[in-house]
Amino acid sequence: MKRLFTLLVVLLMAFSFSACSSPSSSAAPASSGEAPSGETKEYSFKVWCADNIVDLTTKQLNDFAAEHPEYKLTFAVEAVGEGDAASYMINDVEAGADVYCFAQDQLARLVQSNALAKPGVKASETIANENTTGSIANATFDQTLYAYPLTADNGYFMYYDKSVIPEEDLDDLSKLLEDCVAAGRTFAFEGTTSAWYEAGLFFGTGCVSEWVMNGTDIVSYNDTFNSDAGLKAAKALKEIVTSPAFVSSSAADEFQANPKAAVLVTGTWAYTDIENILGENLGATDLPNFTVDGETFHMGSFGGGKLIGVKPQTDAEKGAIASQIALYLTSEKCQLERFDAVAWGPTNKVAAASEAVQANPGLAAFALQDNYSVPQGQYPGAWWDLGKVIGSEIQAKGAGATDDDLKAILQSYADSLAGLLTMDPEVARAWTVIGSVLGDTWSTDIEMAEDPEGVWTTADLDLKAGEEFKVRQGLSWDNNLGSDGPGGSNFVVEADGTYQIRLTVGEDWTTGTVELIAK
Amino acid sequence: MSAKTEQHHMRMSTKNRLSNTVIYIILILMSLIWLIPFICIVLQSFRVESTGQVGYVIPKQWGLDNYVTLFTQTSFPKWYLNTLFIAVVVAVIQTVIVLCMSYTLSRLRFKGRKLLMNFMLVLGMFPGFLTMIVLYTVLKDLNMIMENAVPGLILVYVASSGMGYYVSKGFFDTIPRSLDEAARIDGATRLQVFYKIILPLSKPIVIYTALTAFMAPWGDFVFARYISNNNSAGMNVAVGLWSWLQRDTISQRYTLFCAGGVIVAIPVTLLFIALQKYYVEGVTGGAVKG
Amino acid sequence: MTDLEYLKLTKTQKFVYGLKKFFVSIPRWFANLGKAIVNGIGGFFAFLGRDLKEIGTTFIQGDWKTKLSFLIMGFGSIARGQVLRGLLFLLFEVVFIFYMATSGVYWLGKLSTLGTVGPHEEYNETLDQYVMTYGDNSFKILLYGILTILFIIALIYTWRLNVKQNRIAEEILATGKKLKSGKDDLRSLVDDQFHKTLLALPLTGIIVFTALPILFMILVAFTNYDANHNGFSNALFTWVGMSNINQLVTWNNGSTNFSATFGEILTWTLIWAFFATFSNYFLGILVALMINKKGIRFKKLWRTILVMTIAIPQFISLLYVSKMFSNAGIVNGMLIDAGIIGFDGRIPFWDDPTLARVMVILINIWIGIPYLMLIATGILMNIPQDLYESAKIDGANTTQQFFKITMPYMLFVTGPYLLTSFIGNINNFNVIYLLTGGGPANQAFSTSGGSAGYTDLLITWLFKITTVDSNYKLAAVLGIAVFVVCAGISLIVYNVMPSMKNEEDFQ
Repeated sequence: MKRLFTLLVVLLMAFSFSACSSPSSSAAPASSGEAPSGETKEYSFKVWCADNIVDLTTKQLNDFAAEHPEYKLTFAVEAVGEGDAASYMINDVEAGADVYCFAQDQLARLVQSNALAKPGVKASETIANENTTGSIANATFDQTLYAYPLTADNGYFMYYDKSVIPEEDLDDLSKLLEDCVAAGRTFAFEGTTSAWYEAGLFFGTGCVSEWVMNGTDIVSYNDTFNSDAGLKAAKALKEIVTSPAFVSSSAADEFQANPKAAVLVTGTWAYTDIENILGENLGATDLPNFTVDGETFHMGSFGGGKLIGVKPQTDAEKGAIASQIALYLTSEKCQLERFDAVAWGPTNKVAAASEAVQANPGLAAFALQDNYSVPQGQYPGAWWDLGKVIGSEIQAKGAGATDDDLKAILQSYADSLAGLLTMDPEVARAWTVIGSVLGDTWSTDIEMAEDPEGVWTTADLDLKAGEEFKVRQGLSWDNNLGSDGPGGSNFVVEADGTYQIRLTVGEDWTTGTVELIAK
Repeated sequence: MSAKTEQHHMRMSTKNRLSNTVIYIILILMSLIWLIPFICIVLQSFRVESTGQVGYVIPKQWGLDNYVTLFTQTSFPKWYLNTLFIAVVVAVIQTVIVLCMSYTLSRLRFKGRKLLMNFMLVLGMFPGFLTMIVLYTVLKDLNMIMENAVPGLILVYVASSGMGYYVSKGFFDTIPRSLDEAARIDGATRLQVFYKIILPLSKPIVIYTALTAFMAPWGDFVFARYISNNNSAGMNVAVGLWSWLQRDTISQRYTLFCAGGVIVAIPVTLLFIALQKYYVEGVTGGAVKG
Repeated sequence: MTDLEYLKLTKTQKFVYGLKKFFVSIPRWFANLGKAIVNGIGGFFAFLGRDLKEIGTTFIQGDWKTKLSFLIMGFGSIARGQVLRGLLFLLFEVVFIFYMATSGVYWLGKLSTLGTVGPHEEYNETLDQYVMTYGDNSFKILLYGILTILFIIALIYTWRLNVKQNRIAEEILATGKKLKSGKDDLRSLVDDQFHKTLLALPLTGIIVFTALPILFMILVAFTNYDANHNGFSNALFTWVGMSNINQLVTWNNGSTNFSATFGEILTWTLIWAFFATFSNYFLGILVALMINKKGIRFKKLWRTILVMTIAIPQFISLLYVSKMFSNAGIVNGMLIDAGIIGFDGRIPFWDDPTLARVMVILINIWIGIPYLMLIATGILMNIPQDLYESAKIDGANTTQQFFKITMPYMLFVTGPYLLTSFIGNINNFNVIYLLTGGGPANQAFSTSGGSAGYTDLLITWLFKITTVDSNYKLAAVLGIAVFVVCAGISLIVYNVMPSMKNEEDFQ
């Protein structure tokens, strides 16, 4: 039979699943859920939320369905951590949830994967009117509102064991560490495993790290961690991570580990667990001050929130209901219910102002720390890795690390950031001249050729006095060289003549020296 | 026996006794190291005073609460049945497939045999994770993901099982070829040779194959997680228990995780210990051949 | 070197000789490969020419049944009474035409661009909604495009078989013999053609669920499939040629030194694989010898305790062990309680790069010894006892016996196992991922993606690049690199170790 059987089985099988995915089903929009007129329309929604609010959310969704008898709605609520939701959505947007909760730092990834439907114009207005300004900023990316604010408490502050830490030491990092060591208890702070926490020290000394992103592409950034102020923060970080009491963790369980923690830096989500462990000894307050070289700073932090996202729908009506569900789940009523159940801080203005919310110790501590917090914008994924290793590198150097060691670590961090801007090798090697030269008005790039390696030159150009130009990389303004370095002012031609413009590229492939050579 | 040899024997036995004592000490130490983690897990599963991770091993309050919760308030029974079903089905089908494959490549000579073996050798050197996203899409088109992940997982495990023929082939290689030839001369077809002569001799390798196939699905937390795509109904125990160790769940679910781990480990361990003898015979008959 | 001289060499010298021979033979090997490729291509065209000629002859000399079979596959067979064969051919043709008409043509047409229509969004004012319309799906176009091509190749092959069948049938009939009936065909499937029956199912599975996905991923290395171009919901992906591969081999690309990271992770992967393989190997044998020593009691008990690590799923045991050794884990806690270390002397098992690397190797021993112990137990029983008897008569003591008899025998028998185990350790995902997750973090790696750390192996890095960064194109490149590494090592070992070559040797 000449292998015919083998072949046939292979192909029949191959065929069987090829056929299931005939092009029409994937290329055309999915069939809309239109029902014959006269019947109530049926829609089912998949909803993802954190494990501890699954029951509550199910109840709230049923309330919503009861308020909308014009539809027949069914819900499937699944537990997904806010940190993981984005990964699942990005893996397969099609199969993802229709409505889902996620942590704010995932916003850029989700927008980039097109996994978020923008709220409609009217919905956006409602959101803007009902929620606190900070929480709306959390849900905004590139000047566009993409999600529905769910909580306003995604930041960190300090929990401590009252039986170990005297109240007068709460404002002093060094004393806190001493108390911990003296009591044989740990000081838990994610100082080597998370840029989210480590950055707090740098914000405390006045450093900034701001990024302008386009999807995952970095447009520009301003990061001052590698500075004198940054060095002070690095010294404080050294004090923490080289302390015998240090543990890099933010888990509530540190309070019952061996050795137990006396201080833990984490957020409101851990409140209930810590209360169960410490009971009356639970204390919560803002982060301490730290003193470096005689100067005292208050530890800063990131402030952010959790959001609800709606998946883009091909069926307009289903999308409209999903949007209403998200609005409902973030309404005053639902946020208060959630606060009662799991003490999540509301974003809704009315709910946030309510007495109960104001009186909650965890949220109160968060509010105290919020005065020193930096709103969490968007960061490239690699920034989180780069920030994280500042702490682990300092720890590796140990308590004996000198200022020069710390500077080297910060320098290496800054170099890596610059490296993030580097484009594809092809783009990196595409240097051009652009300006008001040769009768052009900053619209046409003049080619430069690489010869020898690392040196780019133009052909001979007839330039006139007063003409201005810049040298840029990859046909974009992301990286351009002016007379005083990257992003600087234009080069100005001083006298008429025939010139060659020559660029010698630096080792990092993003900077270089530009010369105007008269012929 | 002369006095000299007797003395020699005595010296030997003293020396022997000494070395045996050393060996006993080493073995006891090793047993402790090997058992401590498992004992800890079991102890944690009986802790009722708190649900998170703690810094001590012996519970302050003992109880079966975790086990009760596990079976009454979580999806664990569903995950457990999913996994058991997958494991049994995969064990049966995979054994058949591996036997077919290895028997053919070991006993039968045909055109393209070497080519086929090289082809599979080359395929085996690509990391399996790469294909995860492709298999996901294929299974999605077959509607075998999320709540239907169980048949999907079975399909994928079974379909790629032919690649793991090496140990089994090594085993068949050790059975003398003359047996088949004698039977062929007596007029038996190849099929008859297979099930009348070779199979009865192959008990260790059949059990070995079935046992390894049965054990694998219990520990798959990567591919199964990808395919179930966070749908509780389609999870196996590994994915389900894994989801309890995430940052926002571990404080409430850690002791449950330990209890779940114990329930998973018991049948697999018992089965393995019971069939250990065959495992050794199978693996030594086969693995050494590569 | 003559055979006699070779035999006189010691083991080490033989090994060095083999290694030298291998490297000396590399140029020749490549020359041969080149020659083989040229010959192969030449041979292929010669074959094609001959085959086309034969097809022509078959058509010209054949009767009307044969001629019609060129169009309707299996017609000749059916007309000549071989109904079963004929129907299968016909069925295949019908299925093929149906498939091509319904979807094959569509996928094939889009394969060169991987789709042209991306997703787009429109605002619906009445419902206050942004409504999504999805376009092509690059992923599926690539996947089913490949499948369609395979399908076409299969059709050509089957069609050729069908033509040949007619020729053979005509020849047989011309000599006046009878053709095989369907019953004969079926009978041959359990006898002469038994291998086809046995292999049909396993091979189908391997082709569809292993080979096809691997082919797909190799092709992905030549596209821009990543988080910014996921092929469906945000933007389509398309062919980009060699630019991803270039990223791996270009040394200087700003400070995003991807290839340097690759080099360091590869080095650690090989170091890890070496220690993981050989530490397990020798310690496993040692443990087996101890347990099997005459006079040691409770053999079964010791063995059973050790094999617990095999029986209990690793995600339970390794995760627990990982937590035991954490900074505030049970081990540090117990050491403090016992007064062995002070509170300030807690051991940073997972925070210190070197210590973390040592720890993963040590814990891997915990996982690996039982396997080796079992294997070695079996092999030790198989060592002919008379070898030891004669050694004893020659006055060899236990240590000498071990090095002269046990080890050489073990090494000879387990050579291939060592290789597979080495390759297995290069790809040992579980131990690294569950214990350290790749950490501690490494500043030098941090711009290369995937949050690579000091203990990351290529395989865990690849996994993180896939799941954390969704950078599939890079993962595909890394996958190919892992393949090259594994294949390279296997090639060297196969050439240096003569015992690997002949599978019949062991029988």
